[in-house]
Amino acid sequence: MPKTRTFVALATAAAVLVPAAPALAASYPAPGNPGPVAKPRGKPQTLRVCRNRTKVRRKQCFKTIQAAVDKARPNDIVRVAPGTYRESVLVATKNKKGIKLIGDPRRPRRVVLEQKGLRGSFRRFGLDAVRAQNGIQINGADGVTVNGFSTYHYKGNGFFAVNVTGYTLTNLVAARGGTYGIYAFNSKGGTMSNSEAYYNNDSGFYIGQTPPQPGRRLRSTIRNVKAWGNVLGFSGTNARYVTITDSSWYNNGLGIVPNTLTSEKYYPPSDNVITRNRVFWNNYNYFKGAPFRLRAGATGDIPYPIGTGILLFGGRTTQVVGNQVYGNYLIGVGGVQQVIMAGATAKDFPNAAERARVIEASYLRGNTVKDNRFGNGGANPNGRADLFYDGDGSGNCFSGNTAPGGQLAVVPLDGSTFAACPFAGANAFSSAGQGEALVWTVGAPNHNEFWVRKPQQPISGIKPLELCTVRNGACAGQPR
Amino acid sequence: MLDSGYDRRQFLGLGAGAAGLFCSLTDASQVTHLSAGDVGRIDAAAAGVRRPKGARRDAVDRLSFQTPQPQPGGQVREYWIQATSATWDPMPTGRDEWMGMRLPRKRFRAFLYQEMTAGFASPKSRPSMPGPTLRAEVGDVIRVHFLNADRRFNQAVTVHSHGVRYNPEYDGAYLGDFTRAGGFIAPGESFTYTWEATPDSVGAWPYHDHGPNHIINVMRGLFGLVIVYPKGAKRPDREFPVYLGSFLPQISGRDDVIHTVNGRAFAGNTPTFRAKVGEDVAFYVIGGNNDFHTWHIHGHRWKGSGGAPVDDPTVGPNETRIARFTEDNPGRWLYHCHVFSHMDRGMAGWYLVEP
Repeated sequence: MPKTRTFVALATAAAVLVPAAPALAASYPAPGNPGPVAKPRGKPQTLRVCRNRTKVRRKQCFKTIQAAVDKARPNDIVRVAPGTYRESVLVATKNKKGIKLIGDPRRPRRVVLEQKGLRGSFRRFGLDAVRAQNGIQINGADGVTVNGFSTYHYKGNGFFAVNVTGYTLTNLVAARGGTYGIYAFNSKGGTMSNSEAYYNNDSGFYIGQTPPQPGRRLRSTIRNVKAWGNVLGFSGTNARYVTITDSSWYNNGLGIVPNTLTSEKYYPPSDNVITRNRVFWNNYNYFKGAPFRLRAGATGDIPYPIGTGILLFGGRTTQVVGNQVYGNYLIGVGGVQQVIMAGATAKDFPNAAERARVIEASYLRGNTVKDNRFGNGGANPNGRADLFYDGDGSGNCFSGNTAPGGQLAVVPLDGSTFAACPFAGANAFSSAGQGEALVWTVGAPNHNEFWVRKPQQPISGIKPLELCTVRNGACAGQPR
Repeated sequence: MLDSGYDRRQFLGLGAGAAGLFCSLTDASQVTHLSAGDVGRIDAAAAGVRRPKGARRDAVDRLSFQTPQPQPGGQVREYWIQATSATWDPMPTGRDEWMGMRLPRKRFRAFLYQEMTAGFASPKSRPSMPGPTLRAEVGDVIRVHFLNADRRFNQAVTVHSHGVRYNPEYDGAYLGDFTRAGGFIAPGESFTYTWEATPDSVGAWPYHDHGPNHIINVMRGLFGLVIVYPKGAKRPDREFPVYLGSFLPQISGRDDVIHTVNGRAFAGNTPTFRAKVGEDVAFYVIGGNNDFHTWHIHGHRWKGSGGAPVDDPTVGPNETRIARFTEDNPGRWLYHCHVFSHMDRGMAGWYLVEP
């Protein structure tokens, strides 16, 4: 979402403002024997971090994670003992390539990074201030692993990888972040897995601005994660080559949204696969401020259709296959043109070629929605419709979608936009259908006027957000 | 990977010429010159082959190509396939059911193709020899999303298909400095091959690795089958891919060469094919190693490529023979290669026909 990129820009600006090193002197030392070639390093070293530094342990462990990271060389392991660490960790530059930050992979809530109470140089302006935005930030260091941590209350993101090739973010908990829970930006070939993100002001999980990779590609995977109580469960602005699978997306404003925006490079999103997920009860009306109040601006400029399971907001060659989608009060799976980009004007984009590119990127092209199951065994259907598609673009197809024990509900009601797979050529556009979708958002000041509420029952320890008792900004009985 | 870097020439040199020896083989017995240690050194060298530069020495190297689309009425046949390694036992039952002999079992690390669900989200089948069978009709395009998911051998691999039409971008062949993107898929990388099923593609064809260490890796199991049908044609009721090959001691770690059908040796381990009387049956037989084989099914005849009846046609390296017939002869039948040394060392099995 557009406004939340500000801190990325800040980071860049701060980096530019770092003073340049003085020019080297023109005189050189006398030539001499440079010595033997350094031997290649042996096995990776393990550096330890601990909070309870007894006399014995003091010599053996670092006081902060950052201190250990600063000492670490490529491929080293930084092992962090349980405790609460009030710091903001930066793993930057190629010198940190391949390092592994290991907390407690089985119980990540025991190794806490907490922004509340964070003191010290991070309050300054400049790069440190930007660093304080994130629990752990990886910037430009390829192949880093972060395993077994939890983050709370960071102004920006819990875990953030930017400008990297290869990252592994696993066994993490990211809660109550100012922006995203677990986030990768302008990066290639990563994994987010076995993690949980909740009560984040924007998305629980986010992969954005994936550089196009013609030819060989490094795909990214989100597997076995839970996202709940976020504005969006997953947001993927201009995301590419991402597989989202075997995960649960519930109680968010919307479940999974790989969206198209001009606020980031490389639009539109493409070549994503959303498969074998459970997407349910995404009816968190975050505009109401309960169970927690969002930061100003977190809801962005675009009123998304709250109550939606999976939304393709523009995008290409994305496959939505074999998911179970239920209990979303507006729609289960939707596809709609990126209407803001479709209306790009010469004022916004003076360059005609760029304007044409923006408008072209607004269309849905070559997407497949098939073999998804709607409802939960005949109960808990989606509200207004299981499937929505405005019919824009080309090559979009729908097949094998079922509502076992119920009736598949679609909008437009006549089903005119839903071409069966395989399908090539222009789809049958429905201006009425697109108009209806717009009314669900801009025509709904309370963001729920078009919901069709249907009975919901708690399942396997998970309670629908709207049924929970709110205490101190959280649902009673659920993680804070 | 590949930081330490060898180019192909250095790689061959480091392999003590062993890879070159593989290239020139016409008879499996010659590889006794090569030790298991040589194979290990070749693997190490292959893991160090640098990513090709994409040299553009000639005008043809600067050509760019469009990704083909299906013909009108055709469709995209999409597959997600990964290369992975797994332990493989050519004789999992430890017994030759034909001769009633016990067999010494020994596993080795094979290199295999495996079909995955969309986005490589989960396995659709086990890694296998041959790999997943790809199917299309004339007018379709076959789109293979390929992921090199292996970290054990740590080598670039590819998918190169016979029979279908493709432009150089989708050749899937390592060409030294002239390699295009699809000819060098390093571990962790993926690439999407797009091939056209043209009228002259009708038939069954092998696909296999054609990366820098293709010969050894094909011997380890990186091969599969593409079948292209005439548009709208009725497909056989039973289809049996049959890959005839062998495992050399240097690959399998055994003392001797064993001859295999779909990576298994000796009846009871090789596939037991099953059909019923009246069914339309097709065996797609591919020569998968350096040898010439024959394909003989007891009690059956079919039309050969010249239209005359055959029951033991010859199949050469990466050649295909299709044995297609309407089943009319119930019982337990033996199938085997009629090169006696192959049959004797495992290239035989059962074909069971129900009345």
